[in-house]
Amino acid sequence: MEKEFITIHEKETAVKVQNTRVNAVRMKDIVKKGVRVYKDGKIGISGAIGEVPDEILLENAVQNLNAGISYPYELSGNLKDHRDYGKNRMSGDQLLERAEKILERLRTEYSDFDFNEIILTRDVSWQMKNTKGLDLEYKDAYMILALILKEKKSANVIDGYLEYYGRDFDLDKFWEFNSQLLEAYRHKVPLPEGDTLPVFTFGFSELQNFLSRSLNGEIYATGGSIFSNKLGQKLFNEKITIEQNMSPIYRAEPFFDMEGVVLKDDRYTLIENGRLVNVYTDKRTADVYKLPHTGAASGDYDGVPSLIGAPLRFAVDSHDIKSALGGKMGILVAVSSGGDFTADGSFAAPVQVGFLFDGEHIIGKLPEFGIRSHLYKMLGEDYIGTFENKNFYFGEGMQLQGYYMTIVR
Amino acid sequence: MYSFPKGLYVDVRIEETFETKISFKKDVLQEQKVRRNKGAFIRVFDGNRWYYSSLTDLSRVQECIDALARMATPNNNIMEHPIVKAFEVNRDRIIQYEKDSVTDIPVAEKQALLEGYLKLLDYPEIVHHTSYYVDNKTIKSIYSSKGTAITFDKQTCGIRFNLELAYGDNKNHDIVSKAAIRFDELKGLDDYFKERIEKAVAFVREAVPVEPGIYTVLLSPEATGVFTHESFGHKSESDFMVGDETMKAEWALGKIIGRDLLTIVDDGLVPGNGYTPYDDEGTKGKKTYIVKNGKLTGRLHSAATSAALEEPLTGNARAVNFQFEPIVRMTTTYIEKGDRPLKDIIAEIDKGIYVETIRHGSGMSTFTMTPSRAYMIENGRITTPVKVSVITGSVFETLAEVDAVSQEFELLSFIGGGCGKMEQYPLPVGFGGPYIRVRKLNVQ
Repeated sequence: MEKEFITIHEKETAVKVQNTRVNAVRMKDIVKKGVRVYKDGKIGISGAIGEVPDEILLENAVQNLNAGISYPYELSGNLKDHRDYGKNRMSGDQLLERAEKILERLRTEYSDFDFNEIILTRDVSWQMKNTKGLDLEYKDAYMILALILKEKKSANVIDGYLEYYGRDFDLDKFWEFNSQLLEAYRHKVPLPEGDTLPVFTFGFSELQNFLSRSLNGEIYATGGSIFSNKLGQKLFNEKITIEQNMSPIYRAEPFFDMEGVVLKDDRYTLIENGRLVNVYTDKRTADVYKLPHTGAASGDYDGVPSLIGAPLRFAVDSHDIKSALGGKMGILVAVSSGGDFTADGSFAAPVQVGFLFDGEHIIGKLPEFGIRSHLYKMLGEDYIGTFENKNFYFGEGMQLQGYYMTIVR
Repeated sequence: MYSFPKGLYVDVRIEETFETKISFKKDVLQEQKVRRNKGAFIRVFDGNRWYYSSLTDLSRVQECIDALARMATPNNNIMEHPIVKAFEVNRDRIIQYEKDSVTDIPVAEKQALLEGYLKLLDYPEIVHHTSYYVDNKTIKSIYSSKGTAITFDKQTCGIRFNLELAYGDNKNHDIVSKAAIRFDELKGLDDYFKERIEKAVAFVREAVPVEPGIYTVLLSPEATGVFTHESFGHKSESDFMVGDETMKAEWALGKIIGRDLLTIVDDGLVPGNGYTPYDDEGTKGKKTYIVKNGKLTGRLHSAATSAALEEPLTGNARAVNFQFEPIVRMTTTYIEKGDRPLKDIIAEIDKGIYVETIRHGSGMSTFTMTPSRAYMIENGRITTPVKVSVITGSVFETLAEVDAVSQEFELLSFIGGGCGKMEQYPLPVGFGGPYIRVRKLNVQ
């Protein structure tokens, strides 16, 4: 019988903010443990939150073998890879001091806004070890600032956000960008003329989710994906390359999947120059549907590895937004909540907060509007490009992506 | 039980949870998992700032109280602080599920129940499916330095089918589910599931893209529930209002925001996902009329917001689990039923959209609903299935557009997912209501 152990340790200090003042300090120190056993092509699982002895978890996992869950796949093994991505670990006191400074300046210079929610520092470690010689460790430490912005004269619940995620917070860069952003909130501008406008997004979750579903090997192979039967075909603009990207730099998650697989350079190409070249898979999906295995297993720390989603990342294909705009003004989507794609790829969403920008600077805040397009148009003839984020201090690894979209006024 | 330091307010929330998750991918067992966890959340308040900590080793609760107390500044007048004065003192024990506990059902029986329903999914259009049985039983205990000592239990269980559908180039994914409180309520549901599965199959075969535009929209109880939750429920969470004079003026109690036929309730005592006999700071659950006959009559509170806005407690301070502090959240929120038969309401619509099931919703200044299944209404009849990306409306205007409320009424709970508010997701909430007609919504 082979045994596998997963341990996740998460320490967090969070400063809760109410009306631009520190309202509370929260501390968390949580350990989650998962144990898997493998015997005769079956898997048994168990787990717990807290320091439960491994022997008890092992006993429970052995009992779980009786469920008869099939797992006839070779375990990952013979690999030691320890990585620590944390650069500047911050103590709770340092975080509190930093938060107080930021809030004081916001109260003083931006008293026409109110700020609420959270600034936190998180220290995480993931370990995955098994009796086949697998020994993986991912450590990280990062800061998250997520402040809901509310214009005091507005009756909205939320008017926008100040955001940061990263390991190397630079207060000067934070103010350089956010001063510009907050001035833009104060400066209301009309939507440019035209039915179709260049729209730029960062962290476009609806697109990520739709692509993630559509590139899921199981959904693809069983015929439920919009891309089913299109492997090898050109789907998108020639500039577009999309990878399953496991690098923790962009998402503060382990570089290995939940089956202990580490990819070469932490990535696997799924769309190459607009062409569908792979779909993502775990060991079971690759075996059942005879697809290449891409190391995309996910699942709970105490669960059976499963194919649910995969972290996707566009390759940067363009470099100068201003020249891509060709003298036109673009629209930067800051908050778009609640929109979605239909199963056949049509997309529509409201834009609750959008800004006019010239490719480098944010000019002013736009009134609410809607955007509409279709997957194949956005990533086809209407695609502008994926740009490294150079100008906006939102967080590490953030990209900006542009497409022409229909504007719903 | 605990030694509470002087000059500080302290409360301790202890949660013991039991969870089962069984899943099949097609007909193959994917997972069979039983979790038992314990954890505690501790709050210390010195009148100026809160100090929170969560832990899993319950033998260290006292140690943790003492550590947080050392960070705080003792305040001899803490009992006179408006927030501390607002806290109810309750001593109670409500254990309802000793007899029908999901903890007593063998996991094999739960698996057999789910497996028995898989035969209902045998359609060529259902190209893949993942099926779940889930249950949760939580025993919560809350103790405070004011004298609160409460223990209660709550449980839910349910079955969910995630369907991947394809018919030629038409694709869709849909969810069919049923929530319950007791395991036995999940038996004998073949007809219930079959009807909904057949609708999902028909939808992928027949649905056509909707013509975008402004439509009269009829919402099912499920859609009404999401509409109520997103369009107005979040607005009634009063933490958004503390220290905000514009919001207070915009949403002043007594303001008319809808027609006489519109009454919106949040009720923590309704069994199901939103059941909150005591909230997570020990306030007794209540039925709160947020809107009565079109007039704004109340909002949802924690002790802190109740003190700040000088309004009564409502029992809405809830945390998603023991790792988080309670914040103002909904429980079971719904529009009260009306007096009109559904068939009469439909008959009055010449051209409109009927939204039957919902994928997700959101509620800022513009609220949204993403239908899973929607249909055209033409000349008073529900006709062609239509694919809709999103339905939107302004939270400031849409409640006034509700012009019909049915006598048919249903309360529901989701299996999987829940309500999200910043970092705390998913919180189980109840929702539902009657069929309602909204005169104008933007459909895309």
